[in-house]
Amino acid sequence: MSLAPEVYDALEAVVGSRYITQDPVDCEAYSGSRGGHGKDLGMERVLCQPPAAVVLPGSTREVQDVVRICNRYQIPFVPVSSYWVTHCAPRVPEALLIDLKRLNSLEIDDRHMFAVVGPGVIYSQLLEEAMRRGLYTTTPGGGSQASVVANHLTCGFSPLNYRTGFAERRILGLEWVAPDGELVRMGSLAMQDDPFWGEGIGPDLRGVLRGYIGWYGGMGIVTRMAVKLIPFQPERLVPSGISPETALEFPANRIRWFNITFPTREDLVEAMYSIARNEIGAAVTKVPVFWRYIARAKSKEHFWEMWEAPGKEEEIKNSHILRVLLVGYTSEKHLEYEIRVLEDIVKDLGGQFRPTKQSDESWLKNADSVGMWWMTGGYASIEYTIDTLDCGVRGGEYLAELKTQCTPPLMPDYGDPGWFQMGELGHVGYLEFLTYFDPEDSEDNIHKVDEWYYVTGPKKDIEIGLYNGFTLQESPVYLSGPAYGPNFHLWMDRLKGAYDPRRISNPPWPADVDEVIEKVDWLERDW
Amino acid sequence: MLQLEHYKYDAARCVGCKGCVWVDHIYMPGVQFGMKCPSAACYLFDSYAPYGRMKIALAVMEGRLPYSDKLADIVYSCTMCGACDAGCKRNLDLEPLLLLEAFRQRCVAQGYILPQHRAVAERIRATHNYFGRSHEDRARWWPEDVKKTGRGKGDVLYFTGCSSSYVHKEISQSIIRLLQKAKIAVTHLGSEEWCCGYSLVTTGQVEEARHVAVHNIEAALKSGAGTILVGCAECYKTWKVEYPKLLGKSTADMGYQVVHASEYLAGLVQDGTLAPGHAVPMKVTYHDPCNLGRLSEPWTHWEGTRGRFGTLQPPKEYRRGTYGVYEPPRQILNNIPGIELVDMPRHRENAWCCGFGGGVRDAFPQLAGWAAGERVTEAQSVGAEAIVSGCPWCKAGMQQAVRESRSPVEVLDVVEVLARAVLGRVG
Repeated sequence: MSLAPEVYDALEAVVGSRYITQDPVDCEAYSGSRGGHGKDLGMERVLCQPPAAVVLPGSTREVQDVVRICNRYQIPFVPVSSYWVTHCAPRVPEALLIDLKRLNSLEIDDRHMFAVVGPGVIYSQLLEEAMRRGLYTTTPGGGSQASVVANHLTCGFSPLNYRTGFAERRILGLEWVAPDGELVRMGSLAMQDDPFWGEGIGPDLRGVLRGYIGWYGGMGIVTRMAVKLIPFQPERLVPSGISPETALEFPANRIRWFNITFPTREDLVEAMYSIARNEIGAAVTKVPVFWRYIARAKSKEHFWEMWEAPGKEEEIKNSHILRVLLVGYTSEKHLEYEIRVLEDIVKDLGGQFRPTKQSDESWLKNADSVGMWWMTGGYASIEYTIDTLDCGVRGGEYLAELKTQCTPPLMPDYGDPGWFQMGELGHVGYLEFLTYFDPEDSEDNIHKVDEWYYVTGPKKDIEIGLYNGFTLQESPVYLSGPAYGPNFHLWMDRLKGAYDPRRISNPPWPADVDEVIEKVDWLERDW
Repeated sequence: MLQLEHYKYDAARCVGCKGCVWVDHIYMPGVQFGMKCPSAACYLFDSYAPYGRMKIALAVMEGRLPYSDKLADIVYSCTMCGACDAGCKRNLDLEPLLLLEAFRQRCVAQGYILPQHRAVAERIRATHNYFGRSHEDRARWWPEDVKKTGRGKGDVLYFTGCSSSYVHKEISQSIIRLLQKAKIAVTHLGSEEWCCGYSLVTTGQVEEARHVAVHNIEAALKSGAGTILVGCAECYKTWKVEYPKLLGKSTADMGYQVVHASEYLAGLVQDGTLAPGHAVPMKVTYHDPCNLGRLSEPWTHWEGTRGRFGTLQPPKEYRRGTYGVYEPPRQILNNIPGIELVDMPRHRENAWCCGFGGGVRDAFPQLAGWAAGERVTEAQSVGAEAIVSGCPWCKAGMQQAVRESRSPVEVLDVVEVLARAVLGRVG
C-alpha cells in the first residue's frame, strides 16, 4: 500500500520531507493494534490496518493544506493525537494518517482562567502548568496521557466532574479544519485572535463537533482549542516516590481522601445523594472492588492469588465502599466544614471511615487508567451511562447479572455492579461497566467476547432503557441509534454527509461497528 | 541469547498508552521536558518510539515485515536507556527493553548488523578496548605517585573501564586517590582488564560479549577480591546485569558484588573516613546515568511459562527501576560544603538519557549529540553551573554538547567533585 506519487509529492511539499513517510515499517507502527480501548476485539482484528502514509503537520495551515489534498485526491484521512481508542486507527485501505503531535503549543491566561492547547498536549502537561497558577481541570477516565483537545471533544468524563462539570462544556473558542479543508474559527476566535469566549457570534457549531460523544476524527481536525480552567486551592502538591510507587502528596490542611464502608448498597447511594444535596466534595465515587486489588497487587500473579482466594465472592457482594475527595478550595476552614458535614452523613447512615492514603495516584494530575490492562491483558468498558445515579446503579446490577452468563470467557468479578459516581454536584449519575478478558484466549472465546461487547450489552441497554449515547461508540449505530433517537443514526449520517461529503474523515465512523458485524460470521445482525 | 518470540506477548499486549515516552505523570513538568524517550522525541514518528517498535517487532515475528535498511535504522536508533521500561512497568509490566535487546540479537544472528557496530567489535577483539588503542597503554592512567597494591592483595578490585583508562583519566585518578586517602587496599587487573563489552551486548553481538565476559569474570575471581568497584555506569550494568544474563545466571550467583564508586565513596563520607573539607561553591545538578539508575537492578534468571490472563509460572522478579543507584551520588554532593544541588525536571527513573548509550554514539552521532544537547538545555533551565554525573560516557556526550552550544555549563563526574572537596585537587 502506498500513495500515488503525485499525492505523496503534494503532501511532501506541504510538510517537508522530514515529516512524511510511506515506508511500511514506519506505517506498521501506526497499525490498529495501537489503540488502547477496544484493542484485541473485532474492530481491531477485522477492520484495522496500517495506513498508506503518515504526515506530521506543524501548523493549522499545514493541516488545512493536507486535508485539502486528501479531498482533491479522495484520500481517506485519520487524525490522531494521543491515539487511545481503536476507532482512531485506520480502518480502510490507503488511508493517510495525520499525526498531530507537533501541534503541542500550550498557553494559559491566568487572569481569565483558560488555556489554549494544541492536540498534541496531554492532560498531565496542562495540569502541571495550571496547578502552578492555582488552577486545575479534570484528569479524565482515559488517563493523564489523553489529548486535552480530543478528550474535550468526547465528553471528557472524570470523577472530578462532580465539581467541574463535563469537559465538553468547558470548550471555548477553537480552530477547526472541517473535513473538506475549510478553516472555521469558532467563539470569539471568529472575531479576533482571542479564544476566551465560546459562544461567539452567529450559530454555535460546538454542538456539531462534540455532539454527545464526539466524532473520533470523523469530523475533521481541531487544531487549537481554548478550554476553561477552574480555581483550585493554592498549596503545592509535592511529587514523591519512585516508579511504580509515585504519588502527589496532599497538603493535609486542604485536600483529603476518605474511604467509607456502608452496610448496604442502598446506604451508600443515599450517602452519595446526601453529599450532593449538601454540596460538599470534589469527587464522590464508588469504584469497582477489583481496582482496590489492583492497587494492592505487587504483580499480576499476586493479583490473581488475592482475587481467587476462597470467600472472595461473599466479600465482594458485601463490599460497599465509597471514596470521597474533599478539597478546601477557598480556605482551610472550608475543608474543616466539609469534613464535619461528611462525618454527620456517614454517622447517620451507619458508615465507617477506613484508612486510605492521603496522596494522589488518581485523579488530580495522574490517572492510572492503563492499569486496567494489567491483570488480564484485555479490557474494554461496555457501558458509559450518563443519566441519573439511580439509573447507573440499576444498570450496573442488570449488567452484572447478564455478565454471569458470559463468564467465562470474561473475567470473574463476582457480581460487582461496576463503577458508579456522581457528576455535576449530583445532578448526573455515571455508570461505567468494565469488561476484562484474556486476549490470548481461544478464537471461539474471543468471538464470544465480541458478541458480548458489540451486541449483547447494547441489546440489554435497549431492553432496560439504559441507552444514552455514549455507548454508541462501541455498538452498531443501526442497532442503538433507533432506540436512542428514534432517528439518531440518520441524523449522524446526515451531519456526516453535510460536513464531509466525500466521507473521507476517518471512515467508516460512525458506522464502523456495523461494518464489523457485516463482515464476520460470528456476529448476527438480527435487529 | 534472548529469543524475540519470548516477548511476543509483550509486543501484542502493548496498548499504546505512551507511558514509555512520557515522564511519569506525577512528575510531568509540562510541555517542555515532558518526554523521556530521546529517539521518539528526536524522530517524532511512532516507529521510533518504544510502542511503535513493539508493533514492528510483532509484525516481524508474524512474518509481515521483512528486514530492510529502514528496519535496521529503527531497531538501532535507540539508546537503550530504559526510560520506556520503567515507564511501562509503572502500569503494565511489559518488557519493551528486553524485547528490543532480543530484536537486536536476532538481527545480528541473521547477519544484519550495522557496520559501525561491527567495527567496534573488531576493535575490541583486536585491542581489548573500545577505542582501538594499544592494550599496553590501558593501565597507564595510574598516577605515578600512588603506590600499586599487588594483585590479589585487596578486597576491592577496581575495574577501570575503557573510557577512564584512555580518555577520562581524571575519573579513574580521582577514584584511586580517594581510595588511597581512605586507606583502602585496591586490586587492579592491569593488562588482564579487557573492555567490559557493553557496546557488544547492547548492539546484539552476544557471542563477542560472552567472550569478554568470561575473560573478565575469570580474571576478577582469580584476584580474590569479592567486590568489583567501577566508576563507569556502563561497566556497572554490564558486570551486574549483562554478565549474568549472558551466562544464564542470576546476579546473586555470580560470586562477586559490583559497586559503583559513588556508592562506595558515599559510605566513606557518611562514616567520616573521607572528609570533604574544601568548599566547592557551585550550583550543580545531577544527571542520573541510565545504566546506574533505572537499569541497574540485579538480574534474576527466569524460566517458566505464561498461563491464563498472561500470568507467569513461576512469578518473575521484575526490574522496574525502583531500586537504582539514585541517592549515593546525591548524598556525596549534599555533603560537600558550597554545593547547591538542584534536580532537573527529569530525574531518577525519569531521567533523560545523555544519548551516548546503546550503540547510538557509533551509528547515530546526530541523535547522540541532539540528546546530549537537550540535557544541557535542561540543566541550564534550573540554573546549574555544572552537570555532575557518574559515568564517563555521559560526561563525554554532554561535554561535546557544551562545546558545540558554547554553553557555560561545566560537566563533571561526581568523583571529581568529591576529590576537589576531600583532596583539594582532581586526578
